[in-house]
Amino acid sequence: MEDVMHGGNHEVHHHVVELSVWPLITAIGAFMIPISFMTAFSWGLSSIGIVLAGVAIVVLIVGLFGWLNEVHAKKEDAGLSKIAIIVFIVSEVALFGGLFGGYLYAMLFTDIWPPVNTPAGVPPIGLAVLMTIFLLSSSFTMHNAEEKLTHGDMGGFKSWLTFTTILGTLFIAFMAYEWHHLISGNFTVRTNEYGTFFYTITGFHGSHVIVGLVMQVFLMILASGNKIGKGRQTMAKVTGLYWHFVDIIWLLVMSLIYIVPSIKAGQ
Amino acid sequence: MTTAQPTGFKSWLFTTDHKKIGIMYLVTSLVFFVVGLLLAFVMRTEQLDITKKVIIDADLYSTAFTIHGAAMVLFWMIPVLTGFFANYMIPLMIGAHDVAFPRLNALSYWLYVMAGLIAVMALILPGRLDTGWTGYPPYSIVGPSNTAFYVFAVHLLGASSIAGAVNFITTIITLRAPGMKWGRLNLTVWGLFGGFIIQLVGVPVLAAAVTLLLFDKYLGTSFYDGTKGGSPILYEHLFWFYAHPAVYVVALPVFGIVSDIISTFARKKVYGYTSMAIAIMIITVVGFETWVHHLYVAGTLNWTRVVFMWGTIAIGVPTGIKTFNWLATLHKGSIELTTPMLHALGFISLFTIGGVTGIANGLLGLDIQIHDTQWVVAHFHYVLAISMSMLCMGGIYYWFPKFTGKMYNEKLGKIAFWITLIGAMIAFLPQHTLGLDGIPRRYWKLPAKYAPEMRIAVIFSYITIAGFLMTLYNFVHSAIKGEKAPANPWNSKSLEWQIPSPPPFYNFEKIPTITEGPYEYGKPAEEPAKSH
Repeated sequence: MEDVMHGGNHEVHHHVVELSVWPLITAIGAFMIPISFMTAFSWGLSSIGIVLAGVAIVVLIVGLFGWLNEVHAKKEDAGLSKIAIIVFIVSEVALFGGLFGGYLYAMLFTDIWPPVNTPAGVPPIGLAVLMTIFLLSSSFTMHNAEEKLTHGDMGGFKSWLTFTTILGTLFIAFMAYEWHHLISGNFTVRTNEYGTFFYTITGFHGSHVIVGLVMQVFLMILASGNKIGKGRQTMAKVTGLYWHFVDIIWLLVMSLIYIVPSIKAGQ
Repeated sequence: MTTAQPTGFKSWLFTTDHKKIGIMYLVTSLVFFVVGLLLAFVMRTEQLDITKKVIIDADLYSTAFTIHGAAMVLFWMIPVLTGFFANYMIPLMIGAHDVAFPRLNALSYWLYVMAGLIAVMALILPGRLDTGWTGYPPYSIVGPSNTAFYVFAVHLLGASSIAGAVNFITTIITLRAPGMKWGRLNLTVWGLFGGFIIQLVGVPVLAAAVTLLLFDKYLGTSFYDGTKGGSPILYEHLFWFYAHPAVYVVALPVFGIVSDIISTFARKKVYGYTSMAIAIMIITVVGFETWVHHLYVAGTLNWTRVVFMWGTIAIGVPTGIKTFNWLATLHKGSIELTTPMLHALGFISLFTIGGVTGIANGLLGLDIQIHDTQWVVAHFHYVLAISMSMLCMGGIYYWFPKFTGKMYNEKLGKIAFWITLIGAMIAFLPQHTLGLDGIPRRYWKLPAKYAPEMRIAVIFSYITIAGFLMTLYNFVHSAIKGEKAPANPWNSKSLEWQIPSPPPFYNFEKIPTITEGPYEYGKPAEEPAKSH
C-alpha cells in the first residue's frame, strides 16, 4: 500500500482492514446483556438470567480484548483516535447534560430541595471534598504521565500512570463506602426525587471513572509490552482526554448534587 | 492492489469494508421497511370497516402502530441514510479508501441488527410492546407491556448510532482527499455530516431518558412517577430533545441527496451551494430549539411554549431556502426525467405539502385543537414518512448502477413511481379533515360518519404500498438480471462516478487530488472531472 499512499499533508496513512471477527463477537455480547436482564426480570427465570449475564460479560470482554489486540498488533499509528475521542466526548457531554437537565427540572419544580424526608447529613459534603481532591490530583498526575511519554521517558510515564490509577481507585473505593454508608442510613433511590437523582448521577459518573481506570490498565499493559512510546502515543492521549473529561464532570456533580443542596438545606 | 478480495459468506459476516457494510445496511433496512409496510397494510385494512373487528383486535392494533413507527423511523429511514448512503457514499465522495475506523463500522451494523432482533421480539413475544414508539410513562412503567424491549432496543441502536456518528464525523474531518475542501463536498456529505452531529448530541439524551424509564420500572426510582414527586413530563422533554431532531437526521441527508440528483439531471450547478450548506448547519442547530412543540398541551411553562413556537417556525426558513434553491437549480436546466429525478421532484411536492401543514402544527393556538389528532398523522406522513421514503428509493435508483454495477429497469421504475405518488398524494388527505374535527390518532375504530373518508384513505394507502413493492421488485430483479452499467451512466461530475461500477475493493488506485466541486456542469463533457 505504501507506494500508492503518496500525496500532500492531508494524506493519512490509512490501511484498509479486510476481515475481523471481533466486531460481530462484541455485538453478540452486547445483545446478550439485555436478553439476560429480560430473562431474569421480565420472564422471572433469575438463575438462567444470571448465567446468561455471566456468559454475556465473558463474550463482551473476549470481543473487546481481541479487538484491541488486533489494533495494537500493527506497527503504525494513524492518530485518528485523537479526533474521535473528542467527538465521542461531545456525546458524553450530551449524556450528562440530559441527566443534569432532568435534575435541574426536578429541583426547580420541587418546593423544598432536597425534599423534606431527606435524612440529616445528606449529602455528605466532607467525603465529597476528599473525593474531589483525589480526582483533581489524578488529572495532574495523568498530565505528568503524558508529558513524560512525549519526552520518551517510559519509566516516568509508568510511575505517573500508576499514581493516577491509584488515585482513581481510591475515588471509587470512597464512593462505594459513601453509598454503603448512605444506604444503611436509610437514604436510597426510593427515598425521594433527590435520592433517585443522587444515585443515578453519581452512579453514571462512577461508571465512567471505572471505564477510565480500565483504559489506564490497558495502557499499562501496552506500555509493558513496549507497544506505545514516543512515536505512538495516541492511546495515551485518548486515555488522558477521557480522564480529564471525567474529572470535569465530577466538578459539576460536586456543585449540583452536593454543594447546591447543602446550601439550600442550610437556608 | 496486491491483496485479493475475500469471498464467501465469511467475507460478509466478518467484513470491515465500508461498501459491503453499506449493502448489508441497505438489505436489512429494506427488510424493516417491508415489515413497516405490512403493518401499515394490516392497520389500514382494519379501518376498511370502522364498526367491527376485521383482522386484529384493539390490543394488537396498539402493538401494530408501535412497531410500525419504530420500524419505519428507527430501523428503516435512519439506518438507510446514516447506514447505507453514508457508508457507501462518504468514502467515495471524499476520496478515501474506507472510513476512519472500519471495525467500529462493522460493530455499528451488528448492533443495529441486534436491536432489530429485539424489536422483532417485541412484536411477537408475550408482554408485547404497545406503548407507541414514544414509550411515554406512566403507561410504559405501570402498564402490561414489557418496556425492557423498548429500552434495550434503544440502547443497542443508540450505541450503534453514536459509534457511527463518531466514525463518520472523524472520517469527514480527517480523510478528505488532497484538495477536497469543505466547499467542494457533495451536499449529500454535508447533509449526513449535519445528521451525524444531531445523532451525536441527541441519542445520548434519549438513551438517558429510557434508562431512567427502566430504573423506574425495575428499581423503584421516581423520575417519572408523579405519585412520588417525579414528573412524566420530564420524560417527554428528554425524549423529544432527541426525537424531534431525529427527523432532521432523516431530512438533512435527504436534502443532500435531492440536491445531488437534481444537479445531475438538470445538468446545472446546484444554485446557492454555500447557502445550501449553511442551511443544513442552521437546521442542525435550530433543530434542537423545537422540541417543546410536542408538549404544547402536556403542561410546560408558558414562555417556553412561545420560545419554541418561534424556533419551530424559524426552521421553515432554512428549509424554504433549500426548496427555492432546488427550483432555481431546475430553472433553465437541461432536465432529464429519469426515475431518480422523478423521485426527487415527487419528494419536493409531497414535502412542501407536509411542510406547510407543519407550520400550522407549530402555531401554539392552532395546535391546541389539532394536537395528537389525525391531522398530525397526515402531517408527518407527507413531510417525513412517505416523501422521504420515496426519496430514499430515488437515491437507491440514482446510485444503483454504482453499487450493483447493473442498470435498473427504467420503465418499471417510472410506473412504480407514478403509482406511489398518486397513492401518497391522497392516502393521508382525508386525515386532515378528521384531525380538524378533533379525531385522535392511534384509535382502533372511528365514529361511523367517517367511513367514506376512511375508505379513500384505505384504498390509496394500498396503492402507495403497491407502488413501493413494485420499486422493491425492480431493485431485486435488476440487481440479479439488470444490464451491465457503465462507470458513469449519468455523466455526473461527482467523484463517486469517476471510478468503475461497482468500485474496486480499495475504491481508488491512487488517492485523487481534487481541483473543483462536484457540480461543475457547463464545461466540455470530455474533460475528465478530477483525476490527475
